[in-house]
Amino acid sequence: MTRGITFRDVRKTFGATVALTNFDVTVHEGELITLLGPSGCGKSTALRIAAGFEVADSGDILIGDSSVIALPPSKRGIGMVFQNYSLFPHLTVRENLEFGMRVRRVSRAQRATRVDELLQLVRLSGLADRYPHQVSGGQQQRVALARALAVEPRVLLLDEPLSALDATVRVEVRDEIRRIQRESGIATVFVTHDQEEALAISDRICVMRDGRAEQVGTPQAVYRYPATSFVARFVGKVNDLEVELRSSTTVSLRGHAMEIEVPSTTLSVGEARLLIRPEDVRLVAAGDPRALPGTIENLHFGGATTSVEVFITGTGQSIQISDVTRAMNFGVGEEVGVRFDTDRALVIRS
Amino acid sequence: MRLSRALWWIVLVIAAVFYLVPMLAMARFAFQRIPVIKLAPDNIFSKWTIEPLLNTFADPDFRQAALLSVLLAVATAVATAVLLVPTMVAAHLHSPRARKLIEVSAVLPFVVPAIALVVGFAGAFRNTVPFFIRNPVGLVPLYMITALPFTHRTLENGLATLDLRTLVNASRSLGAGWVRTMVLVIAPNIRASIATASFLAFTVVLGEFTIASLLLKNTLPLYLAYAQGQNPQGSFALGLVLVVLSTVFVALSNRFARSVTT
Repeated sequence: MTRGITFRDVRKTFGATVALTNFDVTVHEGELITLLGPSGCGKSTALRIAAGFEVADSGDILIGDSSVIALPPSKRGIGMVFQNYSLFPHLTVRENLEFGMRVRRVSRAQRATRVDELLQLVRLSGLADRYPHQVSGGQQQRVALARALAVEPRVLLLDEPLSALDATVRVEVRDEIRRIQRESGIATVFVTHDQEEALAISDRICVMRDGRAEQVGTPQAVYRYPATSFVARFVGKVNDLEVELRSSTTVSLRGHAMEIEVPSTTLSVGEARLLIRPEDVRLVAAGDPRALPGTIENLHFGGATTSVEVFITGTGQSIQISDVTRAMNFGVGEEVGVRFDTDRALVIRS
Repeated sequence: MRLSRALWWIVLVIAAVFYLVPMLAMARFAFQRIPVIKLAPDNIFSKWTIEPLLNTFADPDFRQAALLSVLLAVATAVATAVLLVPTMVAAHLHSPRARKLIEVSAVLPFVVPAIALVVGFAGAFRNTVPFFIRNPVGLVPLYMITALPFTHRTLENGLATLDLRTLVNASRSLGAGWVRTMVLVIAPNIRASIATASFLAFTVVLGEFTIASLLLKNTLPLYLAYAQGQNPQGSFALGLVLVVLSTVFVALSNRFARSVTT
């Protein structure tokens, strides 16, 4: 695969704070990678270094096969969409789209053709002569995306482009970004703190914490096989249970003797934690000998799935279960059994 | 509600009287061909003439002084726009401390007397770059400083309304360097502020007396002061014209600012 953009061992500090360290990620052509993490994890710093707005302490940024670390933003061949609305307020939509091409001295005729193409691409052909303040937030971000693509950059950088939008528009623009990115086949780095957004839009996700990449993988891999407890907790919901590690493959819930099989671990026996997704726990009828006994504390109807909170008898711990609504025939206060599908569970030191 | 409205009118009328009566007196003195002691309410509409003004316009000394003042005013306005805007943008983007420093030094001309400025300026340049003292161009930096309290505030207000960092980053990511970003993105978005600042700088220069006088440059205000002895009617006529012109400039700049922001 051809390389789009490569972060090579990038490091950045602000005073005593390490914003980014050992950061090594390659985004291939046609690929969309999300940098996902809580605020302060270094994801925006990474993007700003890629764009050239921030200078790395050490390391390199390659676009294609050539280093761009010494180039100013204007010479890097990037397209960028910002968190805040960034359209030039004094220019119409058309003029905004033309800006990069005018700077590059593209002829008037070529500019006009390209602008029409771009407007079609983002489905805003009717708005060419409006000013930014005359179009909605979602439309502004679509124009910003088109403007970034106008100069045919090698890499597209998106810095939380959806965070200023309200929920419904956000999903719409998100899907639009993905469609356009697929059509243009451009290497894209998408920064977000919203795990749902990351799961929905990415080819691969890079989960970041304290300036490091914790895990890089497809959304399925990151969700299904989190490399660390941080990833498990940050991407999707997870139950965090106190357990006793009995052997390398069995645990028991604190306060209950029943042994539960888990994927083989190298941790030594003793106190540990079991991380398991709500959908990997099943509700069964009370009295099932292979299930832990419990009582339903709460039911949250969520459309296709229902979220159930079960208090597990004798353990002092509750567990979240996500079940298909159609299959639900329990009520609050009812005694039930709880079974674990532990092949994707994670045992960690407590 | 009623009372406050009445109060509003009273204040307005008092203010109007305060400003307009001296102007009227000036106008009558300058433009009526009647000796001062005979000016009275009953002859307010008789014997008006613009001859004193025409006489002044015909004076070669006036022409020279007026030309010099206008040139200095234009130069000051342009220099302010070209130097102050990028400086303030840089401070906004890179150094909040520098921004604070500029803010404080921008009001200094209010408290530091012009004479101190000139003495310092002359002391520094007389032996190093005497050109600055001899040539009227040397007045431009001094006028920029004198106008700074007005120009800085105006530009600061304009910049504060922009998400400067995002706009600059967007422009640079699209391939524009600093100069183009300044000319194509920042300047058009604060053009109302730049215009207002330029008008204000222009007006300040047209009225500045002390500095020009101390450095022996024959600008318009100096001519006015000198002509008061020679041709009192003419100098008052000219003074009045300058007041009206300045008012028009300020009004124009306000109008321009409004038309851009709405």
